[in-house]
Amino acid sequence: MTLTQGKLEPGTSGEPAPDVDLTAAAGVVEVPPEILAQSLGEYFRGWWQKLKSGDSGMLPVLVAMVIVAVVFELITPENAFLRPGNLVYIFGLSSVYMVLSMGEIVVLLLGELDLSIGAVALMGGVIAYKLVQQPSPNFPWWAAIAVSLLCCGLIGAIQGTLVARVKIPAFVVTLGGFLFFTGMIVIILGGADTSLGLDPTVPNQAVLYNLVQGNLDVVVSWVGAGVVVVVLGAMTWLGAAARRRSGLVAPPASLAAIRIGLMAAAAVAVLAICTVNRGGVFATIEGLPWVIPVVLGILGFWTVLLQRTRFGRYVYAIGGNPEAARRAGVNLAGIRTWCFVLSAATAGFAGILLGSFYYGQYSSNVGDPGQLVLYSVAAAVIGGTSLFGGRGKPIHGVLGGLLIGGIAYGVSLMNLGTLSIPLEYILPGAVLLLAVFVDVTSRRGARTGKDAARV
Amino acid sequence: MARTDSDPLTVPVAANSSSDLAEANVDLTAAAGVEEVPPELVAQSMGEYVRAYWRRVRGGDSGVLPVVVGIILVYVAFQIADSKFLGAQNVVNLLEQSSIYMLLAMAEIFALLLGEIDLSTGLVMGLAAVTLAELVQPAGAANCALCPHGLAFPWWVAIIVTLLICMGIGAIQGTLVARFRMPSFIVTLGGLLILEGVSLIVLNGNPVRLGNLQLYDIFWGHFSTLVSWILLAVLVVATGATWWFRDAGRRRRGLVAPPASFTAVKIAAVIVAGVVVVLLCNENRAHFGVIEGVPYLIPIVFAVLFAWTVLLQRTRFGRYVYAIGGNPEAARRAGVSLASVRTWCFVLAALTAGIAGILFASWQVFLTTNIIKSANSYVLLAVAAAVIGGTSLFGGRGKTIHGVLGGIVIGGIYNGLYLLGVQSEWVDVGIALVLLAAGTIDVLSRGGGRPGTT
Repeated sequence: MTLTQGKLEPGTSGEPAPDVDLTAAAGVVEVPPEILAQSLGEYFRGWWQKLKSGDSGMLPVLVAMVIVAVVFELITPENAFLRPGNLVYIFGLSSVYMVLSMGEIVVLLLGELDLSIGAVALMGGVIAYKLVQQPSPNFPWWAAIAVSLLCCGLIGAIQGTLVARVKIPAFVVTLGGFLFFTGMIVIILGGADTSLGLDPTVPNQAVLYNLVQGNLDVVVSWVGAGVVVVVLGAMTWLGAAARRRSGLVAPPASLAAIRIGLMAAAAVAVLAICTVNRGGVFATIEGLPWVIPVVLGILGFWTVLLQRTRFGRYVYAIGGNPEAARRAGVNLAGIRTWCFVLSAATAGFAGILLGSFYYGQYSSNVGDPGQLVLYSVAAAVIGGTSLFGGRGKPIHGVLGGLLIGGIAYGVSLMNLGTLSIPLEYILPGAVLLLAVFVDVTSRRGARTGKDAARV
Repeated sequence: MARTDSDPLTVPVAANSSSDLAEANVDLTAAAGVEEVPPELVAQSMGEYVRAYWRRVRGGDSGVLPVVVGIILVYVAFQIADSKFLGAQNVVNLLEQSSIYMLLAMAEIFALLLGEIDLSTGLVMGLAAVTLAELVQPAGAANCALCPHGLAFPWWVAIIVTLLICMGIGAIQGTLVARFRMPSFIVTLGGLLILEGVSLIVLNGNPVRLGNLQLYDIFWGHFSTLVSWILLAVLVVATGATWWFRDAGRRRRGLVAPPASFTAVKIAAVIVAGVVVVLLCNENRAHFGVIEGVPYLIPIVFAVLFAWTVLLQRTRFGRYVYAIGGNPEAARRAGVSLASVRTWCFVLAALTAGIAGILFASWQVFLTTNIIKSANSYVLLAVAAAVIGGTSLFGGRGKTIHGVLGGIVIGGIYNGLYLLGVQSEWVDVGIALVLLAAGTIDVLSRGGGRPGTT
């Protein structure tokens, strides 16, 4: 079951030492091939071995995204799918699922499930939109977001405590939370027919309005992207160099160079798409939409937290084998509660994005809380996260969300008449089943953790 | 790994009760780890029975006690708040509203007993409803999507075809879960998305009217008052005789049987409950004109409850279901075919959801795309009903009756709060609190904590 244990070499134990060595406990923390590989060829061989052993990682979802993009480009009328305007729209549409899914993944990593995340997201959105209304309470936008995220965090804390300390099954707690907050949204909103609007001409409200709708200036877009690429590139390069200098195992220099190159190429591609004028003849709409840096920022936060901190290691350890984690001295209840808190706060932010996607209009109809949950779980699983805990990354949510959004929008482009809406349900469902089918069949015999124990 | 045969597991729990399981080729008591010897089998007198029951409740197996107490509390509270709540008109209304929750919860229990979950039951119901309506469209009906000329099936053929389609859906989902070992959460989540799309395709965007009197009567029809009483009498005599003679037979053969006084009390309780329901249903509940008699849907729900209770409690299949839910590995080693039992459970869940769909179509009459969306919202409430009723989410613990009891709680809360003029958003809040209370009671009664660490 521990396909990684054999590969652990003395060198890796010199990593910044966790107080508890959890590799064995987690049973799922793989040593990435780039840490062990000493040359580029070795790296690719390591990666290929991992793939063959059934750990396909993000490959299926990436392949699926390419297929979806190509197929829709070919079959949509006038080959419109890959036009800049559509791509930007798809990202905005998907951003809600992406962020929501990142929140869900933290709970999935524990081997739990959060059904309340859609309702909590709408709570977060309603609270933030309520707080910036004029003339009162007219909070500054940052205070409104902060209060909204704090409220959601508190909701997460209550649910997390019920799960982690009172030990009520997460399914029951969050099902209750789903019903409870579905009702509370309407109550806070002030009735099922009420809707909250933002006025983009008011600077304070415009910030929330622009989260999905707004664009950065073209020059600012290029400069900002340049700075980010340089900083991340320098960190990658210097980090690897520092490891090598202090005699630790480090990825080959050529690999670091390739990564930095890919990063720069991706940034240039995204910017080239986003800085085309997509407004048509009468209006100029161009520049990087705010939502891209926003989503990448959340992705960065979650990736660092889960992959680089002790907290993250504990989360994987609990998801992989809670009993082993407990014996290794991990505070299960504390970590679990915090996961629910952070997950709910992330969901709250997704709710704020949802309102902005609907042009700053918030009503009880902007999202169906049940649908949001199911799509966020689907996005996570399509991206490659396991439902059984211990296996998954925040980026899975981003990729899965983008795939779902792409399919939904591609279908709506196709003028299928009455078939169009049904296909928006059927295709994500079919992709979900296919993704898990491939995962389950390819992973036969290579499963780890609770996954392997299933009879 | 070779399958081992049954011998290591034939350890009877109590010498006497093992004869009860004599016909099973495999004794699963140990494997299941959850089948208690009911106190009424061991107790020899009424007092002993009550004491044994109380011991069991204190030992953490509170059974249906919390939900029965919950029903009494909820209903008394609403009756105090509004004296119309338990009036004839509202009680029938309440039973009608609860019937869908009851059936869907009974469907869900098949999956929950295995330790799996079925998120698609709500949309199996939705698809069944629209399929039924399309199948009976008269020849020449223009708004039918897949059959532009109108199939004009007789109503009973339409019902059979609809239920067969539902079973087919269950078989596909069950196969993916049982043979390919895909997580049931994912299979049924994907299933519900696909079914939502398929239902919309069947409906083709056009509202469909269920223009068939027999189908309309399934939900809205009722027996005449006289037939109601006759049916009650037949039911009481049949159950009473079955229970009485079964226990008498057991006693005669020297087997353990509940005390005669207890059997009598049980029969009396059935008579009282039946008479109260029939009395309420036989009162005129119409604002204008006369509507009286027991609605058809009550015997329908009872028939499903009876069939599934017998299947789960009295047959080998049922024992296997509990065994798998309690400990799949032990069940597998005892020679149970996990894959086929699991597949059949999903088929039966979908069948039950299909029956709910027929009632649903009959209830709504006019089927629109919004109806399909609302069908989906029933799933989580059905799970909630099962859990409130006392069924465990971790498999192996639960009974079909739990779905009915949980459905009565949820239906009662919905109905009561609407009667009080409470906004629908507070209804969700109320059900959430009841669900959390049920979860807490379940955890506390088991002495805190699930088996293992999660």
